[in-house]
Amino acid sequence: MIRQPNEIADKDKKIRILIAGYPGIGKSTLALSAPNPLHIDVDFGIDRIEPRYRKPFIQPKSYDEILEDLKPNNVKDFDTLVFDTGGKLISLMSLWAIKKDPKYGQRDGSLSLKGYGFVGKEFVRLMDYCFYELNKHIVFTFHAIEEKDGDETRLRIKVEGQTKNNVWEPMDLGGFMEMHGNDRTIGFSNCERYFAKGTRGIKSVMKIPELTPSTPNDFLARLFEKYNATITQEIEENAKEMTAYEEVMAKGREIIASIKDADTANAAIPLVKSLNHALTSRQEFTVAFNKKITDLNLVFDKETNKYIEAINNV
Amino acid sequence: MCKYMITHSLLSSWLYMLTPNEYDIDDSSYTGFWATLNREPIPVTEAMQKGNDFENLITDIINGKDVTNHEWYEAALRVATIINGGVLQYKTQKDITVNGLQLVLIGRLDALKAGTIYDTKYSGNYDAGKYINSTQHPSYFELVPEAKQFTYLVSNGYQLWAETYRRDETPSIVPTIEDFLNWLNMQGLMDIYKNKWIIS
Repeated sequence: MIRQPNEIADKDKKIRILIAGYPGIGKSTLALSAPNPLHIDVDFGIDRIEPRYRKPFIQPKSYDEILEDLKPNNVKDFDTLVFDTGGKLISLMSLWAIKKDPKYGQRDGSLSLKGYGFVGKEFVRLMDYCFYELNKHIVFTFHAIEEKDGDETRLRIKVEGQTKNNVWEPMDLGGFMEMHGNDRTIGFSNCERYFAKGTRGIKSVMKIPELTPSTPNDFLARLFEKYNATITQEIEENAKEMTAYEEVMAKGREIIASIKDADTANAAIPLVKSLNHALTSRQEFTVAFNKKITDLNLVFDKETNKYIEAINNV
Repeated sequence: MCKYMITHSLLSSWLYMLTPNEYDIDDSSYTGFWATLNREPIPVTEAMQKGNDFENLITDIINGKDVTNHEWYEAALRVATIINGGVLQYKTQKDITVNGLQLVLIGRLDALKAGTIYDTKYSGNYDAGKYINSTQHPSYFELVPEAKQFTYLVSNGYQLWAETYRRDETPSIVPTIEDFLNWLNMQGLMDIYKNKWIIS
C-alpha cells in the first residue's frame, strides 16, 4: 500500500533501542521497564536484578536455542524482546557461525574477518526478524568500556570488530547510562563522552527516576510513548518543510528550463527573486541556475543588471 | 583589512597533532600539520588514494558510466543512490570574525540535498562514532545554516554505514577556531598562518 509522507503518523511504532553502561549501573532493570518484556537473559544475570523487577525470561545456552525460542507462537504474549546483553548474544552468534562453517573462525576460536561480516549480517537479520515479522519493541543492553582518545576518555559499547557498526545501524535510539552524583542518567545525544543516537525529540541527558517500592518500573514504556507521540508532530513539520522544498525545487527547475538565451534569462530574474526557499533549496537552485547561465555562455552585466552574451576572447 | 582562509582540514590537522598518539612514532601528525599550515602539498597515502578512488567510483555511477565490475560497486551504488539529485562537490564560504581577525571559512561539501550535508568516507577500520569529534560537521553547519543534519557515509568498499549528526547536538566551530588562533599566537606561528592563508 503506497502511503503519503504525512501518513507516517504511526502511534504504535515499535522501537529499537540500545542501552549501554558500566556493569552494575542498572541496565537490565532499565531494559525491563519496556512494555511487557520477555527477558532474553543471555548473560545469565537475572539473579542480579531485584526480584520485583524481574520478568518472564529465557536463558539460552546457544544461538540455536534463541532462534527456537523466538518462534512467533512462543513470544505472542510479549510486546518487547530484551536482549541482555547484546555482547553475549553476539558471542553465542559467533560460536554458532563457526560451527556452521569453520572458515568463519580462526585457530584461537575467535572470528575471522569473514566471520565478523557473517555475524554482522546475522545480527541485522535477527533484528529485522524481531522487528518486522514478530512486530516487537527491541531492547539491547551492552556493557560500556572506556577508550582513550588523546587526553579524553570515551565510552563505547563492548563488541568486538566491525559488528558494533551493524549493531548501531538499525537502532532508533541509543543511550549511555552514567552516574551523575547520586542520579542515574541516560544520554541520547552525541557528546565528547560517547556516540549516541536520539531521534523524535528523545535527546540530551535524562534522569532515570529512582525506583521505590511504590513506583512502577516503566521508564522505557513512557519513553516509547513519548517517542510515538512526537512522531505525529515531527512528521507533520518535516512534511511541511519537504513539501515546501520540493515545490520550490520544482518551480526552480521550470524557471531554469525556460532559459534559452539572454532575454529569457532576464525574464527569469523576477521569478528567481520570488522563490520562497526551504531547507537547502537556495544553494541547490543557485548551483543549477548558474550552470545553465554558464552553459548558455551568458554573464551578468553589473552596469545594466542584466544577463548578456559573454564575449569570448579568441 | 586583510582576510584569511580557514578550513576544517587545517583545524583537523592541528587537533590531530595535539592529540597524543602512541602509534605516531615518526611524528607524522606534526609533519602533517606543518605541511598544512604552510599549504605544502601533502603526499597521497594509500588510505587517501582509496578514498579518492571510492569517490571517483561514486561519481562514475552518478554519471552513468558502466563500472558494475568494480569490486566496490555495490557499496558505491548505495552511496550514489543516496546523494544523487543533490548538489555534488558544492563549494561554499562564509565570512566570520574571530578574535578580531577577519576569516573566510571555506568548505567543499561532497553533496547537499534537501537539508542534509553528505560526506563520503572510505575507512578500512570504521567504528561507529568515529567522527564525533571531527571538525568537519561543525564547520559545514556553520557554512550552510539551512542544513539540518550532516551524514557521513562511510564505507570499507563493501559495507556502508551512515553516521548522522543533528545541528542541535553539534557544537559551534567558532570556539575551536578561537583556540587555534590563540595557540598560533602562543607558538609564534601567527605570522606564518597570516602569510600563507591570506586572501586579500
